[in-house]
Amino acid sequence: MNPHPTMTAASTGAAAPAARLRWRHLLADYGIVLAFIVLCIALSVADENFLSWGNWVNILRQTSINGILAIGMTYVILTKGIDLSVGSLLAVSGIVAASLVTGETAHTPMLGIAAGLAVGAALGAVNGGLIAGLSVAPFVVTLGMLSVARGLTFIYNDGMPIAALSPGFRSIGQGMAAGIPVPVIILAATFFVFWFVLKYTTFGRAVYAVGGNEKSAKTSGINTARVTFFVYVISGALSALAGLILAARTTSALPQAGVAYELDAIAAVVIGGTSLSGGVGTLTGTLVGALIIGVINNGLDLLGVSSYYQQVIKGAIIVAAVLLDVSRKKQA
Amino acid sequence: MRILKLAVLSVALAALATPQFAAAQQKTYKIGAAVYGLKGEFMQLWVNALKDHPAVRDGTVKLTVFDGKYDALTQNNQFDTMVTQKFDGILFVPIDIQAGAEAVEKAAAAKIPVVGSNTRVNSAKLASYVGSDDAVAGEMEAESVIKAIGGKGNVVIIEGPIGQSAQIERRKGNQAALAKYKDVKVLEMKTANWSRAESLSLMENWLTAHSGKINGIIGQNDEMALGAIEAVKAKGLVPKAIPTAGIDGVSDAIKAVKAGDMVSILQDAQGQAQGGLDVLLRQIEGPSYKPRAALWTDYASAGLNWGDGTAKQYNVPWTPITTQNADALLAKRAK
Repeated sequence: MNPHPTMTAASTGAAAPAARLRWRHLLADYGIVLAFIVLCIALSVADENFLSWGNWVNILRQTSINGILAIGMTYVILTKGIDLSVGSLLAVSGIVAASLVTGETAHTPMLGIAAGLAVGAALGAVNGGLIAGLSVAPFVVTLGMLSVARGLTFIYNDGMPIAALSPGFRSIGQGMAAGIPVPVIILAATFFVFWFVLKYTTFGRAVYAVGGNEKSAKTSGINTARVTFFVYVISGALSALAGLILAARTTSALPQAGVAYELDAIAAVVIGGTSLSGGVGTLTGTLVGALIIGVINNGLDLLGVSSYYQQVIKGAIIVAAVLLDVSRKKQA
Repeated sequence: MRILKLAVLSVALAALATPQFAAAQQKTYKIGAAVYGLKGEFMQLWVNALKDHPAVRDGTVKLTVFDGKYDALTQNNQFDTMVTQKFDGILFVPIDIQAGAEAVEKAAAAKIPVVGSNTRVNSAKLASYVGSDDAVAGEMEAESVIKAIGGKGNVVIIEGPIGQSAQIERRKGNQAALAKYKDVKVLEMKTANWSRAESLSLMENWLTAHSGKINGIIGQNDEMALGAIEAVKAKGLVPKAIPTAGIDGVSDAIKAVKAGDMVSILQDAQGQAQGGLDVLLRQIEGPSYKPRAALWTDYASAGLNWGDGTAKQYNVPWTPITTQNADALLAKRAK
């Protein structure tokens, strides 16, 4: 099977368009990596600090929270879903965890971490249950949860932040291991685990199948409701993980933390080439997408560019990424 | 449904029949507090202080707090509600200096006095305003950073959301102080939208861009100053090495002042809220009203004067937070 009909004409005259097509194909598949490299080269020319190790520690640390949210979001979007509640789940998990590791009565960090993750997973399960069990649209369910979880965050500590977190807990966000920030290690470990699951397990293949064609997934024996349920549990738990890191980084769990974080997470997924119509995409793409957002924010800060332009540039890149996605679909 | 209504009605009738209710000759007032949003710690403190006003505690004032959810239209709609429900007075903390004016006029047309608190609104119909001058705080904090670095060197300014009145006024104050020192250079000036997390990233990037060159940090609020301090720590520096200032006196900042990591200036939420209610009650009740909040005696020596309670504006002074008053301030909040 030849996807490029013009290539059958092996005359010298057809060589040029064939090459052009191959280029377009390459651009569609690796365009985002290429864009990332070009961006990095441009920024390293513009600012001598950009390539320094210290700066990359910053970029990676700043990307860790959005990166972790975007991993869960990728699973959700692959099933043709959306999770708008990640920012709120991040906040409520962070504040619950913080309440257990603050002040003189601080418990062991592990308890705070476990409680935070449990809260995130449980609220994610509510999302998943309503979506998979009652077939309510993911947009509606998670929009509702965005509001409910934010409200719970404010109720939990009467709208006040929780500070004075124990040093053990703070190390999740502030610690270094072998010269690498702990949040970056957490991001790397999370990425690897979920990359492996997506690529090499039946569950991972089922995630693609549910988003690609739910009906044929069902007929081929996949429990689509179960798969759908679990992607929202995953997204909830990863939101919680991000919330723990954020609270530890800022040494305080703020009830207004994570507002609008869902937008950056969705942006990372989309820039990374995952299709909003489900079934197509990779976690590697998402990671590059998150890095692009991190690099743009960092680079424009280094160059002293106003944050207004940062928003414009980020928006333009999101739309450009979707255009790439569309052109790729046309070829397929 | 009918049973429920009946139950409510009978409870209400029973309440009316009880002697102390019937005998309560003292008039009660229905007051609405329309605040721009309840998500930040400062507004929480403001509302808690208002509920703690003697007139609210003894039941003279029936208080309803309206959360404006950071939206001018929401606040406008809440004014409609208060007008139709015939509130006796409104304490107003607007989200926007301009957009609030129409709401104030609507209430004034219905003969409901409106007193501003904390943030200003551009309206001649505002009966009075009880707040603190942000430009003064901006000047004080910049001054303290400049002094701490010995009157020369490089500073960065982390700004509030561009266009908000607190950002505009605090910037004015920052610049007024900087204008006096020719040897102080502003390396960077950018918004972090009052957010600790945003300021943390911004400061990390600046510390890389200007490695070793930043001598002082001016944060236009405490949250951003605290985020900057975290970035300084993450870089392996001691916070004391780069003097940092914030404004507002949120609890975390008071603790950081105690630790010697920053300086901050207390914006007195209690004074603004309780003072505002006093001025509002004076509008409603007339000259016989005697103010009951603590600020009038607390700040008497600082030049705050009740007078006859009808001044157009009352400036609640700022209080620099020090290691001496930090514990007392925190204790006041804990109750």
